[in-house]
Amino acid sequence: MRASAGEKVFYAVNYLVLLIAGMLCFLPLVHIFATSFSDPGMIMAGRVTLWPLQWNWDSYKALFMGTRIMGAFGNSIVITLVGVICSMTASIAVAYPLSKDYFYCRRFFSLAIIFTMIFSGGLIPNYLLVKSLGLVNTYWALWLPGLISTYNMWVMKTFFQNIPRELEDAARIDGCGELRLIMRIVLPVSVPMIVAISLFYGVAYWNNFFNVLIYMNDTSKYNLAVLVQQMIFSASNPQLAIEPDLQRAIAPEGVKAAGVLVMVMPILIAYPFVQKHFVKGVMIGSLKG
Amino acid sequence: METSASRRFKQNVPLLWMFIPGAVFYLLFKYTPMAGLVIAFKDYNLYDGIVRSPWVGLDHFRLIFSNDLTIDIIVNTLWLSLLRLVVGFPFPILLALLLNEVRATWFKRSVQTMVFLPHFFSWVIVGGIVLTLFSQESGSLNILLERWFGYTHSFMYQVPSWITIYLGSGIWKEAGFSAIIYMAALAAIDPVLYEAAAIDGASKWRQIWHITLPGVSTVVVMMLILSMGSIMEVSFDQIYILGNPAVSSVSEVISTWVYQLGLQGGQFSLTTAMGLFESLVGLLLILTANQIARRMGKELW
Repeated sequence: MRASAGEKVFYAVNYLVLLIAGMLCFLPLVHIFATSFSDPGMIMAGRVTLWPLQWNWDSYKALFMGTRIMGAFGNSIVITLVGVICSMTASIAVAYPLSKDYFYCRRFFSLAIIFTMIFSGGLIPNYLLVKSLGLVNTYWALWLPGLISTYNMWVMKTFFQNIPRELEDAARIDGCGELRLIMRIVLPVSVPMIVAISLFYGVAYWNNFFNVLIYMNDTSKYNLAVLVQQMIFSASNPQLAIEPDLQRAIAPEGVKAAGVLVMVMPILIAYPFVQKHFVKGVMIGSLKG
Repeated sequence: METSASRRFKQNVPLLWMFIPGAVFYLLFKYTPMAGLVIAFKDYNLYDGIVRSPWVGLDHFRLIFSNDLTIDIIVNTLWLSLLRLVVGFPFPILLALLLNEVRATWFKRSVQTMVFLPHFFSWVIVGGIVLTLFSQESGSLNILLERWFGYTHSFMYQVPSWITIYLGSGIWKEAGFSAIIYMAALAAIDPVLYEAAAIDGASKWRQIWHITLPGVSTVVVMMLILSMGSIMEVSFDQIYILGNPAVSSVSEVISTWVYQLGLQGGQFSLTTAMGLFESLVGLLLILTANQIARRMGKELW
């Protein structure tokens, strides 16, 4: 089938528009990358565009020596790893029973859980609860109230429901108990979904800003999101504990760009490998449960 | 031979054990705060606690609805999220339609990879990028303006440009990822329809008009109804990070107000009353949305 002249124009415009859209999403990041590795003089003069001018590590030197970024990086990793493990375990433990039609009071439990998605106590009652439980200034204030994301849990439930029944029935006839059934059959066939949901939880914990802001009092407990935010927005010059020579040699813009890049780096590294899982996760979620 | 009831009970025992921690979670961290909403009707203080603090009835609500500042905040919340919905809604659909017409798989994949990416960035990152581009002293745009026209514009400190940045950054971050759901709907359209139309001599435009658009229309309507339910929601992170005192007349919303006055100012009861109002309107909106969806045979529950 040959394309008419009109169609050719259509395709050309379409490709061009999409190319621009893609670049718009990607180039700002390239600019940040270029800024973080450029010579301060070039940054100040506004000469840096999409490639570092006069490669230079000073911004990173100032960032790592003058701020608590290493500690915050470690905190972000702890928050994310422990959070994902707790959240996944708890979510599976709720989603699996709800996926079984023989589970007692399934409809009641489902409705009670869905209701929390459309109505909530709001910020202040939540805060007072966390405070009265003595969780303020501990990471449990992040892990416990955020243990189960109902949306993620519901995606899991939908996935479990769609596992062919014959698989389970065969195992049951062989005398397999419920726990062994989950470990040997259900979880192994759910690996793509488990990867996808773990990633959803992981990104949410990594990017967590608000809860760290309100629940952590010690600056040493801040994660990257809060530390980088304060560095970027507090003043035009980040407060750096570095020797005056280096302080004079750096451009604030460069240090800020370096901070942003350190925070997105793990996401950028993981992204190409996990992108298809994310998409799959959204697709499962869009099925009616 | 065991009865089916006892068999069901046996099967339920491990399920119930599994379910207990989750049930405790929902009771403690979802339903207890709902009970805590009672302080909206009390004059809560730390010393007396929730139970013994004095009852004040609807005083806090009266204060909220008689005060110009709080009314402004409610109006700002509605206005910003309505703008976001109206302006932002077409972008994911458009993106999905364009991507659907791409034949070269490698090109489609590359574009998808790039447009999905911002979804995974925290607002802190997006805020950092926005400042790099738009700040007055060192933003790239102002450096270019200075060089070409010899003047600069304080994009972050003027209401019209701030709202544009607010809307633009939201679209930038989420349009790509939101397109996934439309792309799924487009992928589900039977290719036979296109082949038949092509044999009948239908042009590209007529194919899009008569096959593609009807194919996604139900999903579009569904998403529109769903988004109606979130009119009270404005992302705290986005406003907190992008906002500044110069534009607070439009950027102060319920969530930032509750944060400042409640958490930082200790006015727990007043801000809980505002939170309750917000939650109730949200509930009303989502129930209405579901009713409308039910009429169309597409209810959510």
